[in-house]
Amino acid sequence: MRNKKFYALVLATTMVVASLAGCGSSKESTATTDTKESTTNESSETTDQASTSTDEEVTLTWALWDLEQTTYYQPLIDAYETANPNVKIKTLDLGSTDYMTVLATQLTGGDSTIDVATIKDIPGYATLVNKNQLEPLNDFITQNGIDTKAYSGITDQITIDNNLYALPFRSDFWVVYYNKALFDAAGVDYPTNDMTFAQYDELARKVSNDKAGTEKVYGAHYHTWRSAVQLFGILDGKNTIVDGAYDFLKPYYEMVLNEQKDGICQDYAALKTASLHYSAAFYQNQVAMMNMGTWFIPTLIKAIESGESQATEWGIVKYPHADGVEPGSTLATITSLAVSKASENKEAALDFVKFVTGEEGAAIIANTGTFPAIMTDQVINTISSIEGYPADDTSKVALHTANTYLEMPVHEKSSEIETILNDAHDNIMTGNITIEDGIKEMNEQVSAVLGK
Amino acid sequence: MSRQMKKNLVAYSFILPNFLGFAVFTLGPVIFALILGFLEWDGNNPMVFVGLSNFKELFADSRFKIALWNTITYVIGTVPLTLVSALALAVVLNQKVKGRNFFRTVSFFPYVASLVAVAAVWNMIFNPANGPINMLLYKLGVSADHLPGWAADKHWAMITVILFSVWKNMGYYMVIYLAGLQGISGELYEAAGLDGANAWQKFKNITWPMLSPTTFFVIIMLTINSFKVYDQMYMITQGGPGTSTLVLVYHIYNVAFKNWDLGYASAISMVLFLLVLIVTIVQFKGEKKFVNY
Repeated sequence: MRNKKFYALVLATTMVVASLAGCGSSKESTATTDTKESTTNESSETTDQASTSTDEEVTLTWALWDLEQTTYYQPLIDAYETANPNVKIKTLDLGSTDYMTVLATQLTGGDSTIDVATIKDIPGYATLVNKNQLEPLNDFITQNGIDTKAYSGITDQITIDNNLYALPFRSDFWVVYYNKALFDAAGVDYPTNDMTFAQYDELARKVSNDKAGTEKVYGAHYHTWRSAVQLFGILDGKNTIVDGAYDFLKPYYEMVLNEQKDGICQDYAALKTASLHYSAAFYQNQVAMMNMGTWFIPTLIKAIESGESQATEWGIVKYPHADGVEPGSTLATITSLAVSKASENKEAALDFVKFVTGEEGAAIIANTGTFPAIMTDQVINTISSIEGYPADDTSKVALHTANTYLEMPVHEKSSEIETILNDAHDNIMTGNITIEDGIKEMNEQVSAVLGK
Repeated sequence: MSRQMKKNLVAYSFILPNFLGFAVFTLGPVIFALILGFLEWDGNNPMVFVGLSNFKELFADSRFKIALWNTITYVIGTVPLTLVSALALAVVLNQKVKGRNFFRTVSFFPYVASLVAVAAVWNMIFNPANGPINMLLYKLGVSADHLPGWAADKHWAMITVILFSVWKNMGYYMVIYLAGLQGISGELYEAAGLDGANAWQKFKNITWPMLSPTTFFVIIMLTINSFKVYDQMYMITQGGPGTSTLVLVYHIYNVAFKNWDLGYASAISMVLFLLVLIVTIVQFKGEKKFVNY
């Protein structure tokens, strides 16, 4: 009898233990490989010294996402390999969903095969820097005489403790895309490069209609990302998203929620459950205005060419602005390249980073309709003259920005703050809590994280 | 070497391969996670011993409390519902009904189908704006304002996930119950029939008691599996809206792989471990009263 009890207990424990194995095993693997990593770290130092001659055959692995859909990776690789015949660039596509999480996990696993890592977002960047997995670049920048001024201030925004751990190669900013055909049909004037939020709201309401089905026109479209609504609030330069106080967001949430209530934009909850991609929303020819990043330009041109998009006549204007703020203040999203600390080919990797983030790389990127981080008038001309880009002057002027603010500034706790803000945004937009309660939630929880 | 010892060695050699796998992939990691609970570690920088501070942090962590509560709600909602539906399905499909093989397959299908695919379909069916479920409810006279928001509404999101889990898993437990049912001797039912017992009496006095070991197994497995739920939330609600479907494992994932606070994540998983252990021990204690033979 006693025995039976004992076995039952053992059985229960084993079952529970087995059930938790999923959580534990990944940690164990990171632990065992960590020791491996520290050894590769050492060996990489030795190889560093050994591989000063550049004629050696080197294969670099470049971690990135959406290889197939992105137009500039291959031209960059081709150009670099032509100029450096001894270097082969191998791509490692980690997928766009959870890219930074997958990258961080790979690097934690001591993956010395990744030499060059594309940095997709700031919270992920801050995490990798905290984790000490990216090579500091200051010495390299000084030695090679790289002029960070060319990046017009972007590099200052990703400097951590006076050190840069990545160099930007793409810099996108947010604009308002509009569907000319829908404005024409409604007999409403096109949006302009100088709209206040009130004017923008009014315009969205004017161009909307009350029809049903495919005839329905939404004046505005807000993708389900937090940035699409929340970050209207930081454009006056008075507040940041990591301060722990969020009362300034109220008017913007009010504007969008009222639009949602009046059928001016699609319902957030429906968009979220249907996981509707913002591009699909715009292609359907039912959205008159949509705020989105400039990365959508090449995608949209391609979709119109292939016939995927029913919306074919489009234009771009600058982001709406708060009263008394210079038009052209907008959000920026930067994509940068870093070198993994565990890389065994650091020197070659740094050289590749220098190429992609430098002027040659910028020219190649701009030719694909994508904004490089080095932004010159030449680049703007290149992009606005590629085939399929709207011909009107307004759309060209729209590409000149005044002040740009990062979607998420570098902050030690940015990834925790991001989670809190996303949850609150979700709650407010689905109407689960009032704007006031949502803001209160953000204030309290972010303050708690900051005070920790 | 004595005979007995030789015998034992042979036995151990058979157990060894399995135990090795268990030790390397389960026991080791669990022990390591236990140790990690007392450390601060981001996976790369040196580990720092922080004593009990990770466990103290639990009390101040509002997201942990929400996740704990949501997990318990999910377990309480899922276990009985799945059990009842699986048993009902098994009893019905154990009869000689026409096309029972077809219906058995249909019931088992959700369990086999890829979670990613069925979750996407589920989201379409339960779309609050234009999903068929709400259209049907609307046709049945529910006013537009009172239609449930399903996964998009914080009051309905957990219910949506629970319904999904019940539907997805009941086929599996139905098969286990079917096996149990087929182990019950037909003579018992014949004898009861001769004594004039009706269908309910047969179920209550023969089927249910004879199935009690199966039921016990099903409850244990369901409870453990429900405590570690994660994938459903990830696919259907991403823990939202807000934090309304944030469960412990999801929270652990966020803390570990988004914030890279592996020590604190391990502390939370230890709490989950203790929780499941306690519940399972209680269930084993209850076994004696419940399992009739």
